[in-house]
Amino acid sequence: MKLLERLLDRTRGAFAEGKRLHRTKPVFDAAENFFFAPISRAKSAPFVHDPLDIKRLMSMVIIAILPALACAVYFFGLHVLAMVVVSYAAGGIVEVLFAVVRKEEINEGFLVTGMLFPLILPPALPLWMVAVGVMFGVLVGKELFGGTGRNLFNPALVGRVFLALAYPAAMAGNWISPVAEPPGRILQYVSSGAVDAIAGATPLAAAKQGQLAGLQEMFLGNVAGSAGETSALAILLGGILLIMTRVASWRIVVGVLGSFLLMETVLHYTLPGPIPPPMWQLLAGGILFGAFFMATDPVTSPATTGGKWAYAIIIGLATALIRHLTGYVEGVMFAILLGNICAPLLDEVAVAVRLRRLAHES
Amino acid sequence: MKLRGGYTVQMAGKPVGSVEVLPDPDELYLPLFSRRFRFTELCVGDGDRVRPGKVLARDPSNHGVPLLAPREGTVRLNAIPRHLVLQNVSAGVPEPLEDSDEPSHIPRNLGSVEMKRNKLLLLGAWQYFFDAHSGALPNPFGTPQAVIVSTLNLEPFLGRGDVQLRARLKSFTRGLEQIQTLLEYQPIFLILPKVAAALAEQVSQAIRGYAHIKPVHVPLRYPFDNFTVLARYLGLKRQKDQPVWALRTEGVLALDRALTASKPCDLRVISIGGPAATSPAHVVAMPGYPLKTLLSKRIADGPVRVLNGGVLSGQEIAPDQAGLDCECLGITALGEQTEREFLAFVRPGAGRWSYSRCFLSALRRPMPERMTTAIRGEHRPCVSCGFCEEICPAGIMPHLLHKLLYQDDLEAAIKVRLDLCVACGLCSFVCPSKIDLCGQFQKAMETFRMEQMEHMAQEAPA
Repeated sequence: MKLLERLLDRTRGAFAEGKRLHRTKPVFDAAENFFFAPISRAKSAPFVHDPLDIKRLMSMVIIAILPALACAVYFFGLHVLAMVVVSYAAGGIVEVLFAVVRKEEINEGFLVTGMLFPLILPPALPLWMVAVGVMFGVLVGKELFGGTGRNLFNPALVGRVFLALAYPAAMAGNWISPVAEPPGRILQYVSSGAVDAIAGATPLAAAKQGQLAGLQEMFLGNVAGSAGETSALAILLGGILLIMTRVASWRIVVGVLGSFLLMETVLHYTLPGPIPPPMWQLLAGGILFGAFFMATDPVTSPATTGGKWAYAIIIGLATALIRHLTGYVEGVMFAILLGNICAPLLDEVAVAVRLRRLAHES
Repeated sequence: MKLRGGYTVQMAGKPVGSVEVLPDPDELYLPLFSRRFRFTELCVGDGDRVRPGKVLARDPSNHGVPLLAPREGTVRLNAIPRHLVLQNVSAGVPEPLEDSDEPSHIPRNLGSVEMKRNKLLLLGAWQYFFDAHSGALPNPFGTPQAVIVSTLNLEPFLGRGDVQLRARLKSFTRGLEQIQTLLEYQPIFLILPKVAAALAEQVSQAIRGYAHIKPVHVPLRYPFDNFTVLARYLGLKRQKDQPVWALRTEGVLALDRALTASKPCDLRVISIGGPAATSPAHVVAMPGYPLKTLLSKRIADGPVRVLNGGVLSGQEIAPDQAGLDCECLGITALGEQTEREFLAFVRPGAGRWSYSRCFLSALRRPMPERMTTAIRGEHRPCVSCGFCEEICPAGIMPHLLHKLLYQDDLEAAIKVRLDLCVACGLCSFVCPSKIDLCGQFQKAMETFRMEQMEHMAQEAPA
């Protein structure tokens, strides 16, 4: 520890103003602050501060994703880990590049995007596609808007939409059939070349042909699908931790899932044709993962309470409608992006209401 | 309006309930400035020997509030810049801190209201009054629409109102009576804690039968002792010629002393607390008390930040300030951050208590923390987490204001009610991105006021 501190102290000079390495100072700062929290003193009132900081907020999200990641590795093999590494590396390059160009600090928000992105992809997707997708997502979804805190859309979802439109075949076919018996696929590396391990369809796609996967299978994760969404149990574990620690807004989660279930119930009893029951729909596909980890992103969701409810309901309803009334099998991705577009408008309305209430106070 | 937001800040270093009387010093260094006042009009000459209670200087821009000589001494004008020094101070007559055998009610017909108000001004009791909306000194000869008397002091480490009340309940109720004689039929709102405390019960008993005093119970959460918040809570609107007067416990006691006993208000009960104070306590000191003597042995060694006021809304004591100023509520000592935490962000947070209950503090009970000046994190862009909005007692949206001010759109910020900010500092306290919201709002409000004044000045000649 002391050694590391001394090493950092010694190398700091090389990044000073006017030195050759000065342009890459954000990289050095990020590395330094990764190991040692900076000395930062309050200059004016208030002189004390709450211990909550963005770094901890982000590490909290990553901890909450870990169960889902572990399930993905267990059921689909080590390729998922490789996807995470590639996603971090490729997305990290874009993030660092922009930090250097803009002479800003490197933000840790990327660490969450880089982790979420591979988990919403088919688990056997070629690694180069993961790299292209995350670079597009970070670049267009975040950096072009001005970086962390200013983006309109969830960068991971922007990356996924790009992949889904650019490589529709790869994005619809690279599912892996899971192995439930211990040790699962935990020691295997299944990529798109392994024909025998590739599954034909996800539960949602199979349901359109009239084949329903078992509820217990889906709850534990023994079904084909995107890497992170496979096990409802793991998502609930992480998601409930996020809500208990108040990193994710419970209003959004409850709103999304509630309105989704409601819409599914209505559709189940009114639409002709085989529509699986609502509880089945809840466990199938990405609705749980989306509700807990994607829709709750504070930057791209509304900031006001009223706005949050409306936003959550839009996402829940849109997901159900896209699933059953369009050609798409899964609708969470588009539904959340739709919610993201609406978020500023919803905030505007909620603020106007709030201001009317404040108008009489002197 | 309902009371909303607010926070009980749990911190180690609260002053204990006893009051210590300090010995009179040999020299007094009276600062010619304080938070609200600038005593620019000197009333004594160099070398004058002054009696206690003599007016040494006045603040012409604040209705001429006087700076009084707390003790007999010889004036030195230029010994220390921005200070007036009293040398060879003779010790005062010790007075009991507790209620003495004075009558518990005020005698009738003690002169006209104008005379009384003049007396308040001259005897140094008027400085304890605030305009609830602006925080400025109200006009002593104006008519208020109401008076707010707060017995609470909810900022951590500051002098507690109950400490002063306990010994002086009789003077306090007599002071409330005196306030009534200054008014016509305006209500007096007495702010009491919304908890079952013996003392609050005693106060309620003591004021039973005073029809004009209305007890108001508020939760013990910072900043519900803030006069602006209280005025809004009570529905008292800002009116041009009818301000809301506000004062704290010590103000009522000072007023009683000036009007009942006709003595100058020379002593203040202040707190010396904070995480870096060795023995947090209340002390009785007079304005001008040398800070060096006052703070020696009461503050821990090592780098320490000494604040005038509380940790959330106080100010750093200027390096050239030598003596206690006449408005000081308390002195807070806060250790400077010196250590860097190794791999800080992976620590689960079992040893810290967070307002937002992030990490493990969600799973444990509240605990007092030993805090330093560390802002505990890095500056980051706002992520609209909404914690500032949740804690804001004024009910405004700090994150939205921040975004508007970031765009330099002051006009829009005023439209979203930047003017309602009470500068409690809680938004900056909780912000995970460590944005100095409170400071930003203060600066913006100042700019706005300047622009308004310029605007008015331009319109006046036409």
